[in-house]
Amino acid sequence: MTPIPELAGLRVLVVEDEMMVSMLIEDMLTDLGCHVVGPAARLEEALSLAEHAELDCAVLDVNLGGQSTFPVADLLRAKGAPFAFATGYGDAGLREVDRDSLVLQKPFREVDLAKVLRSLAKSISGV
Amino acid sequence: MGADASIGHHLATALAEEVRRADCLNRIATAIAVGNDLDSVVQAVVDGGVELTEAAFGAFFYNVEDAAGERYTLYALSGAPREAFSRYPMPRKTAIFAPTFDGVGVVRSDDISKDPRYGLSGPYHGMPPEHLPVRSYLAAPVIGRDGEVLGGLFFGHPETGRFTARVQDLLVGVAAQAAVAIETMRLKETARRELASLQFALKAGRMGSWELDVETGVYTASDICKHNYGRAADATFGFQDLIDAIHPEDRPQMRAAIDAAIAHGSAYDVEYRVILPDGELRWIQVRGRAAQTAQDGGARRLAGVSLDITERKRAEQRQQLLLNELNHRVKNTLATVQAIARQTLRGCPNPEDFSEAFEARLLALSQTHNLLTEQNWRSASLMAILAAELRPHGGARDSRFVLDGDGDMQLNPKAAVALGMAMHELATNAVKYGALSGPEGRVTLRSRRVGEGEDRKLVLEWIESGGPPVAPPSRRGLGARLLEDGLAGELSSVVRLDYRPEGVACRMELPMRVVETAE
Repeated sequence: MTPIPELAGLRVLVVEDEMMVSMLIEDMLTDLGCHVVGPAARLEEALSLAEHAELDCAVLDVNLGGQSTFPVADLLRAKGAPFAFATGYGDAGLREVDRDSLVLQKPFREVDLAKVLRSLAKSISGV
Repeated sequence: MGADASIGHHLATALAEEVRRADCLNRIATAIAVGNDLDSVVQAVVDGGVELTEAAFGAFFYNVEDAAGERYTLYALSGAPREAFSRYPMPRKTAIFAPTFDGVGVVRSDDISKDPRYGLSGPYHGMPPEHLPVRSYLAAPVIGRDGEVLGGLFFGHPETGRFTARVQDLLVGVAAQAAVAIETMRLKETARRELASLQFALKAGRMGSWELDVETGVYTASDICKHNYGRAADATFGFQDLIDAIHPEDRPQMRAAIDAAIAHGSAYDVEYRVILPDGELRWIQVRGRAAQTAQDGGARRLAGVSLDITERKRAEQRQQLLLNELNHRVKNTLATVQAIARQTLRGCPNPEDFSEAFEARLLALSQTHNLLTEQNWRSASLMAILAAELRPHGGARDSRFVLDGDGDMQLNPKAAVALGMAMHELATNAVKYGALSGPEGRVTLRSRRVGEGEDRKLVLEWIESGGPPVAPPSRRGLGARLLEDGLAGELSSVVRLDYRPEGVACRMELPMRVVETAE
């Protein structure tokens, strides 16, 4: 896949604890012309990046080795940075407050990721 | 004595006799009315019959139908010991007995031995030897409401001409009373048995029973039912108590279900949570139906059972959790396979190379999954993982491998999968380009546990020697990425991969708290 102009240079925080999956998302983002922030495999790391790193949006795994990434979601929401969840759980694992969030069902294709990123990018420019 | 006096005396005797009989009939009726079991009622009827007819002995034979056909068993006996009958086979439906057992009518004989029906059947052609001496004979069928012959009342006397037409008429009445009594007792027995087995079933199934009078609002609960709601057997537990016990979130649903059952007389089937007085939460299933229908077609009374289904609910929740977890694991594994395919394709654009490398990586992943499955996905042994990944290359006993460990340990699933893949990449690289590509090469695999407390680490070293000279690769492959980025990131490890000319060396420092199993 070729880089997508509207996604070029988009800084995306990746929070994912499965090593191979994290690499996959990284590769997809690089292919799409995005800039990868992270990836973070642990919650403290993810929280620290969400708070301090320069980023436009994020893709969050719901579960990091038994810990939920909801604190990261709350932090990003407070910052006004849009995010999407990547999960194998479906919607079942989400909180009420996250019900309207974009969800990427694992496994997903690069086009699925691109579509979600476009929506996220749009909501950034909309603010 | 004059004729008048004689008539007077005769009348007086007859009157006295009638009074005695009336008294006797009255006692039979009373015995039937107060009798509580079949045996005592039938005995009272036979005893009364003997008294009434002034017979020497009387008996009631019960009509039993079974696989062998109809037969008659002695049920009650009066005026003779039971042994007097035990020596003989029970009466068969011979000519003399047939009118009784067929329910045709009363047989009365002043001398049964002169009766044309007497003595027709073998083997005795008459009474068996040592039979009670019977000349006067009176027998009446006892016929139930639907015409079924329940049995027969038989009376006998050793002298002839003892039973009068008057006594015969009275006996017909006694037989009818006996029939009613026997049928009533049978119904009672059936009801008693059914109630007992119902109570047994309720108790065995820990099922409570309850009843709601819709009109008065009176709710009655059995002991087990109260127990289901955490109440003692002697505690009051009315309809409002029931509502209060139900979890507030489940009340509307229960209300809707019971209202529908009351309005339409339909089945009531609902599951809800209850909060016991001690605060414990239990799940109860309640089923009921209209026990009495109201004029509008709804329920006048509702009755049903309640069952504690907490264990079942917990099992269902556990199962749901397991299914979710399984789904999560499968989806993550699919994503991992997707990642492996993509990474492999980058390194091997040629389809043959791709499929060989891809399949080898899938097998490596599968090996680790097997080891994890053996331990319910809680953990896998470090040594088992190393052995599994070395197996395709000759195995740990191959002299080209030098294993130097300070003991085995259990890895958590994430660490097991990551280390398994890392070992696979190192071994595959060694076979293709490194020490294992020639016969002289050696691989030393060292594991050490170092540090104290929070700083405890697992240090794994892979050291190749004796192979062709090594140069750093022009392109960074999956192995290098997996080790330097993947392990470093996911397992918070320090990984150093050196392409030394004498052989590849990789040193992994893995924090114990990240790799060891929580158990």
